[in-house]
Amino acid sequence: MSLRFLSTARAQLADIVIIGGGPAGLTLAAAVKNSPVLSSLNCKLVEGGNLIGPLNSFSQNPPSNFTNRVVSLTPSTISYLSDIGVWKHIKEDRVESYDNIVAWDGVSGAQIDFNGPSLATMCETTNLQSALLARIEELNEETGIMDNIKVENITSDETNGWPVLQLSSGESLKTRLLVGCDGYNSPVRKFAQIESRGWSYNRWGIVATLRFKNGEFRYPTGWQRFLPSGPVALLPLPDNWTSLVWSTKPEYADILLKLDDDAFLAMVNAAVKLPVEELEFLYNQAHEDPENLVGEITWRLNVFNDKLSPQEMEKYPLELDTIVAKSRAKFPLKMSHADTYVEDRVALVGDAAHTTHPLAGQGLNMGQADVKSLVAVLEKAMERGLDIGTKLALEPYFSERYPANHVLLGVVDKLHKIYSTDIAPIVMARSFGVNVLNTVPFVKDYMVSRMGE
Amino acid sequence: MFLRRLSTAISEAEKSHFNSLAASWWDTTGPQRILHKMNLVRMDFINETLRSHVKINAGVPDEQKTFVPGWNHHNVLPGPVAESIQTEINRRIAQELSRPRLSCLDIGCGGGILSESLARLPMVASVRGIDLSPEVIRVADRHKALDPAITDKIDYQLKSIEQLDKDDQYDVVTMMEMLEHVEYPALVLQTAMQHVKKDGFLFLSTINRDLVSWLTTIVFGEYVLRIVPVGTHTYSKYIDRREIAEFVDETQFRVVDARGCTYVPLRGWVFTSLPDTGNYLMALQRME
Repeated sequence: MSLRFLSTARAQLADIVIIGGGPAGLTLAAAVKNSPVLSSLNCKLVEGGNLIGPLNSFSQNPPSNFTNRVVSLTPSTISYLSDIGVWKHIKEDRVESYDNIVAWDGVSGAQIDFNGPSLATMCETTNLQSALLARIEELNEETGIMDNIKVENITSDETNGWPVLQLSSGESLKTRLLVGCDGYNSPVRKFAQIESRGWSYNRWGIVATLRFKNGEFRYPTGWQRFLPSGPVALLPLPDNWTSLVWSTKPEYADILLKLDDDAFLAMVNAAVKLPVEELEFLYNQAHEDPENLVGEITWRLNVFNDKLSPQEMEKYPLELDTIVAKSRAKFPLKMSHADTYVEDRVALVGDAAHTTHPLAGQGLNMGQADVKSLVAVLEKAMERGLDIGTKLALEPYFSERYPANHVLLGVVDKLHKIYSTDIAPIVMARSFGVNVLNTVPFVKDYMVSRMGE
Repeated sequence: MFLRRLSTAISEAEKSHFNSLAASWWDTTGPQRILHKMNLVRMDFINETLRSHVKINAGVPDEQKTFVPGWNHHNVLPGPVAESIQTEINRRIAQELSRPRLSCLDIGCGGGILSESLARLPMVASVRGIDLSPEVIRVADRHKALDPAITDKIDYQLKSIEQLDKDDQYDVVTMMEMLEHVEYPALVLQTAMQHVKKDGFLFLSTINRDLVSWLTTIVFGEYVLRIVPVGTHTYSKYIDRREIAEFVDETQFRVVDARGCTYVPLRGWVFTSLPDTGNYLMALQRME
């Protein structure tokens, strides 16, 4: 207590203060503590919400159902998490890695399938966060994590320009380097007066935890159907469970969130199979006559399924028959990119620097690659005796990550745009492209190798 | 003896040139940016040299000594054995590198770019920086006060190398981009050598007197690209690496390493394998 009393009078000094206890912030904290060069630094993490309690309760007493916030991890993310000693703390019975992704055009039906060993791994965000926390605790009892504490104000010290954080606990922290892992609306970015540019997709992402009807065995597969209103994806979790990520127009999102669980489930089953025109009719019915929606969809799906041969059935996901209650949630989709990731005393990581459409499952992985790069840059700067808060020391992080992120943001953005239309020539062109791609193995192999990075 | 002799004082013109640079010394986007970037390769060079000369068994009682095979154990011993020997050696090296044990003298410290970097290394206990320009010493003093981690580790003094106490000796002495600014480099080098402890290192960097260095440092650096202010360099004061090597041969020092370095736009400073062309760095070790 006396420490806290003292610190109100004078700011505590830190070398690194990370704002935000999401996967990016926790990974950075774990990586700093894991690094032989950086572990001697005084590193703190400030999180406004309740972090340690829920994460510990997840690791000691995991919920029976899967939580609805699920992320897709690429092999390079997993290899980095293994390198810094985090992966061994993951509850592996709750993650699913899969080798196949089937993506198809909602308008033309043109299909492409990607195969690669462990192309991606689905993991609950909470599972990842609690593994990160476990690793941080394993490395150092003094975790430096301050949760339930909000940053009320950030100012620059008058003499040396170091950021000074006014915390809701009454304490203040003065730091050599302030790292914003504080998401799209990053207060750290605003403090550093870094502009972020981009646009809203005018789409919402809906997530839910669902389960395939028990029956025929299928290898875990990621399914993604590109509808003009946005892609709907079913990504595999263990034991026939699946994580839904459905990007759609705001008006559709409103309708879908108002439906009861059974009707919502029926709509998901319809969305991965029925033609676009029928889906539009169903949205209408969901809005005006939701009571009869389940019956209507069941009838239409029966008609659709009857026309499919057993081989054709395999090109579609199995029927979904269970939804975890209250697992539905929505979030806005946007693309944004900060003009720079570094200023004197400030670095931005993850969503604070860039946000992307979830259709390629790259958002979290870009943040992980940022962390990896930033930690390497900080290590090099320490070895060279630089002040790690200076822009000179941080510049290589920006020059390494900005171009890579920019390319990925651009590719995902173009994919969204190409697929969010049903104009005939574009549909023909994209379907032709996909059909050709699907038959040229070396191009596909190259794409698979890029997806894993 | 190729080197010019006698007084070590720099000329008045040189002094006023550096005085005028003082204000922008720590602006890493300003006229001294290239020097800040150059400091990165200097530190890499110093680090690599010091790391590869760590004595892990010096002063350790026999029974606690780490086993260091005098032969390539990776070729002779079974993999896991060689690996565990290497792990133990690396652990001891890391331990030595994190123990503050070295005293440093930075001659011609300027605004303190190198002095501060040295002071931040965990293996460095203290740094003394000396320079002849009162303005830059003031800048250096003011700047070290901004970082609590190094404030007490560095001590800047406005004095020439002759004014140092004759018995003052250091583990590491640095003279970076300095010899080409003095009137009598041989004398400066000789005096600097007196301040190096036995087994200690003298690091220096300067510029070969050749067409390449004239083109890169003066024509492009000062006039075409204007990376550094006009008047920073004087061609006739440049010193070839061979001249220094010959000089060192007659002393109790040996040349440990010499590497060329050059500035590549968009990439910064990189090492070259041509220490006889353009800029170069040299590490000398005192043998007795």
